[in-house]
Amino acid sequence: MQEQKKLNRRDFLRLSGIASAGVLAAACGATAPAEAPAAGGAAAPAAAPAAAVEAPAASGALKEVAREKSLILMFGGQPGQFEDTGLGNPYATGATHQIGSAALWEPLFFYSAYGEGEIPWLATGYEYNEDFTELTISIRDGVEWSDGTPFTAKDVVFTLNMLKDGAPLLSRSQATAAAVASATAVDDLTVQIVMNGPRPRYMFNQLMSKFDTGIYLVPEHIYAGKTPDEIVSFEYYDPEKNWPLSTGPYKIVAWNTTQKFIDRRDDWWAVKTGFMGELPAIERIVIAPRADDSIMTQRIINNEVDSILDLRATTIAATVSQNPAIITHTGRELPYGYMDWWPSSMWFNHDAEHFSDKNVRWAISYAIDRQQLIDVALEGSGMVASLPFPEYPPLLPYYEAAKPLLEKYNTNEYNLDKVAERMTASGYEKDADGFWAKDGSRVLAPFGGWSVFNDIGPIVAEQLRKAGFEADYTTPADHGTRMSDGSYGLWLNGHGGTIRDPFTTLDFYTGKYYAPIGEPTAQSSRYNNPEYDAILEEMATTPSDQPKYMDLFLSALEIWLDDLVDAPIQQWMHRIPMNTTYWSDWPTADNSYVNGSFWHLTFPLMLHRMKPTQG
Amino acid sequence: MQRIIIALRYIRRNVSLAIGLGILIFLILFAVIGSFLVDTKVDPYPLAGPASVAPTLSYCPRTDPECAQVEPVAYPFGTDGQGRDLFAVAVVGTWMTIRIGLLAGMIGLAIGTVLGFTSAYYGGVYDAFIQWTVDVLLTVPGLLILIIIASTIAGLENGKTLTINQMGLVIALLAWMGPTRTIRSQVLSMRERPYVMMARLNGMSSLGIIFREMIPNLLPYLGAGLVGSVTGAIFASMGLAALGLGPLREPTLGVTIYWVINQNAFLRGLWWWAAVPIVIVALIFIMLFLISMGLDEVANPRVRRAR
Amino acid sequence: MRYSKQYLLRRVGLLLLIIWSAATFNFIIPRITPRNPLREKLLQEASRSGYIPIGFDEMVAAYETKFGLDLPIWRQYINYLGDMARLDLGFSIASYPKTVWQVILEGLPWTIGLLAVTTIIAFALGTLLGALMAWQNSGPFVRYVMPSILIFGAIPAYVIALSLVYFFAFRLKILPTGGGYGISTIPALSIPFILEILKHSILPALALVLARTGGWALGMRGMMVTVEGEDYMTFAEAKGVKDWRLFYKYGVRNALLPQVTGLALALSFVVSGAVLVELVMGYPGLGTKLAQAVTQLDYFVIQGIVFVIILTLAIAMLVIDLLYPLLDPRISYEGG
Repeated sequence: MQEQKKLNRRDFLRLSGIASAGVLAAACGATAPAEAPAAGGAAAPAAAPAAAVEAPAASGALKEVAREKSLILMFGGQPGQFEDTGLGNPYATGATHQIGSAALWEPLFFYSAYGEGEIPWLATGYEYNEDFTELTISIRDGVEWSDGTPFTAKDVVFTLNMLKDGAPLLSRSQATAAAVASATAVDDLTVQIVMNGPRPRYMFNQLMSKFDTGIYLVPEHIYAGKTPDEIVSFEYYDPEKNWPLSTGPYKIVAWNTTQKFIDRRDDWWAVKTGFMGELPAIERIVIAPRADDSIMTQRIINNEVDSILDLRATTIAATVSQNPAIITHTGRELPYGYMDWWPSSMWFNHDAEHFSDKNVRWAISYAIDRQQLIDVALEGSGMVASLPFPEYPPLLPYYEAAKPLLEKYNTNEYNLDKVAERMTASGYEKDADGFWAKDGSRVLAPFGGWSVFNDIGPIVAEQLRKAGFEADYTTPADHGTRMSDGSYGLWLNGHGGTIRDPFTTLDFYTGKYYAPIGEPTAQSSRYNNPEYDAILEEMATTPSDQPKYMDLFLSALEIWLDDLVDAPIQQWMHRIPMNTTYWSDWPTADNSYVNGSFWHLTFPLMLHRMKPTQG
Repeated sequence: MQRIIIALRYIRRNVSLAIGLGILIFLILFAVIGSFLVDTKVDPYPLAGPASVAPTLSYCPRTDPECAQVEPVAYPFGTDGQGRDLFAVAVVGTWMTIRIGLLAGMIGLAIGTVLGFTSAYYGGVYDAFIQWTVDVLLTVPGLLILIIIASTIAGLENGKTLTINQMGLVIALLAWMGPTRTIRSQVLSMRERPYVMMARLNGMSSLGIIFREMIPNLLPYLGAGLVGSVTGAIFASMGLAALGLGPLREPTLGVTIYWVINQNAFLRGLWWWAAVPIVIVALIFIMLFLISMGLDEVANPRVRRAR
Repeated sequence: MRYSKQYLLRRVGLLLLIIWSAATFNFIIPRITPRNPLREKLLQEASRSGYIPIGFDEMVAAYETKFGLDLPIWRQYINYLGDMARLDLGFSIASYPKTVWQVILEGLPWTIGLLAVTTIIAFALGTLLGALMAWQNSGPFVRYVMPSILIFGAIPAYVIALSLVYFFAFRLKILPTGGGYGISTIPALSIPFILEILKHSILPALALVLARTGGWALGMRGMMVTVEGEDYMTFAEAKGVKDWRLFYKYGVRNALLPQVTGLALALSFVVSGAVLVELVMGYPGLGTKLAQAVTQLDYFVIQGIVFVIILTLAIAMLVIDLLYPLLDPRISYEGG
């Protein structure tokens, strides 16, 4: 600790000196700008490593890696800086796998919604007993942590017990605490889990890495003996000790507020055991924090960066058009992206005045012209959603089965006559200003959203105003709290739920999440319908391949649609620009092995696939 | 009547004041005449027109087959990416922005002047108290207070955002400490000057001294102070807007710049979207600046003589 | 001696009073909102991983205990005062388990390097320009052409920064688009690295200097005009005092007082004053940290950063007050 403080102070003094000198010279203006065109005017990517080569290792043993062997990404943190610097422990409170660390954490299974589905990794297989109360997992032989210690069933069992005991403090702990009765290592390669009742979805939801979900496996020999309190404050980053340990072929070698360097580790278990033929081609991953959109796009246009976080609909076309090497999931054509697992809706607070009336909810839905949103706000780069599920292949049968229901309850219909019909049916009239009101109480419809809704938000507000609702779009800093404690009447949000079967999303509307206004709840519709809950309860214990499951789905959906629990608006698109100047084999529609979000837990699938473009 | 003629004659000799007032009149005329040309309740808001149209005097969408028959709509300033008519935004936004600036700036300067004068002049416990309050409030970053107030007010009103006037008042809450402190230090020094001492020896009352001897000498400074606090208030409103607080729907110039940045107008090549608010904000500031320079000449005979 | 002992004692007492009241204010302000920072933080983490787990509320409660936010407010206040007195700023909520000192030290070098330096440059440049503009013996160029440069002051610094980025980085491609230094550069104490930091600081520094010089010039010009009207100026001129001496010794020195006060205030806003420029330029300074902490309502980081501001500012004000008599001999603090 003392050592670290000293280092900080020294760095601080050094940097402040350098930065002041820089600004002084810059402001005086004579020499520096004149020099700049010569040094930086040529391609910056070429200049940067060159400059660094001349600066031999003052900061330790960090080796030089050529630009064409580095994958450079911008993602995460707040504009200009990371918030999680130095948190190598995935269970530390502020830690995230999204900023490159996903390259280190290997799961038992990957699941690729865009590729081959379940991919065994640290495990070779799993088996449920007949009534889904017991789960047996076979671990792969020969897996090693980066310090040479073997990875065994004991590490898996330790992790599960740590989560069980660490609930609710540890992230991702509650699901395991709720589902798992006990976990034991039968031998080094077999894990035996006894469930609290039938849990057919536990394996998929918690033990497979897909998108951002799935638990992180930790080494028992590092974490053993720590209390949950100690674990959430355990930083676990020290390049000299090779912390954090990983099973993946990468290690973090440098990390500050503006940079993270992750280098390839050549002693990876999978090459030794022959599980993978060779090491990934990417020798270094460099990640910088996100910045203003126009700055990030400029950097990828200049080939300084290989990929950045997803862009807004209106920005992606401009980005693609300015550099022929930049592609997206759909190549260089609309919609410039793929469907994320986060379809967005207008959500309603079912305890709020006016919005507790299903006619008002339907009227709001009829007032939204979704095609206009796609055409104007998204400039064509978008897709309408009729249900709150992504249209992934495993979910298409459910969409197909729901068609007759959707004809009766058309969630995508724009129809001002039906708005009037529904509103008058509930006794509303337009007041002097042309807004709907009942008994002198006007329907106030100010709705909030995360700032990613800034493209459609203002347009939705205008559409609602045209239909007679006094609407306003806002992006308050405490949007999350307002959703959760029920101070909103309606709001925009996505659904991070269903991927493979519709249960997860439908479960968001069950009574267990109900809380009166003022009390926080995790899923905030405040919908409370015992009839609906009973169906969902039965779905929870029914595996999705049983025929009964579809019937249950349809009866739950009919209740959901009749009440219009929320009003589906659009599929969420990830419009990720990918630069092919240095790297090829990015995941695209033509080369679909995973989704291209390098911040997801499936990042390793990209790393193993991508090849250098040059030579 | 004669006074007006004298004033006009004077303005002819005072170039800065003339230009400054000229811009002011131009902006007022623009806002007034403009408001007859647009529907202020519809045109400056999204979906008023087609999105992303470059400035044109005769617009007709290519997709419309009956284009030849319909009367073309003019978008002299173009439209933005969400279909606001930027001419209407300019008309409405100019007025809204000046209103916030004047409201907050004048309240701030007025409070600051009164407190600065009285605390420096009377001194003692009163001075200590004022100084203490100012010092405390100045040390806590304004941004912190503004954000907290803005988000709290917004929270109280059922998720509604601030109105323009509320925003002006919030900014005014924090616009008076600067003037208080600087004016106090100025009066402190002025208090010791011979002409004030002389007046005091002659038995002039405190108020008399403040109004007859001190204020005239501080007028140019107050003029600059007004420019400063009005501009400061406009900037503060823009800062709040740029952080996404305040009324996102109201087409003030600050909110318009927020959308310019947020929706990447530069990258998308929609330069007119950025140009409209920036040019108007610049005009407003230049106006205030020139008027303040002109006021100096009115207030300070010596500068006038040098002409 | 221009200060009496009594005055000094009183002034230092006032200093302590101000620090205490500002710290108290700083404690109360973030807590008057109905918002719950831990819930927001954990919700953000949870929604990052897509779904919000059952038992989320217990998790929030567990963390409230951990941070002491479940204690009665007066206990929190007493703990807070004790911590501040010991300069123990505690842990950050948003970046737990990082300490607030770690967070501050990450941003401080950049802030001091960019903002303090540009503030001083803008002050010096603006004051000089303002004085020259008001000075009747300046040429017509200074009196009429210079003011047009100050028009930049009309545009918010972040908008200038955006425009500069657009022209110099996007169009001409001669300067970097943002950040403190190149993405793949390894920090090292070496000439190329210093040059790189330098290159990255040109645009934000230029934006800040352009945007801020105008205000200083305007204030100085106002004061200079007043001073020029004074009798002693006429007298000195009549006596045949040399022009530059008249300008500097009689004019500038007497008009400088409010400017210096302003500088003290401006320096105090170094930390919080250029948030938007830092954001737009992706510059990793302390202003960005504070803005984030405020939007996330990270009590402890807000308290820590603001407390540091309070300390430096209160001391700066003390120094300024003590400097007044030296700058303006008409002020004295002798006696009472």
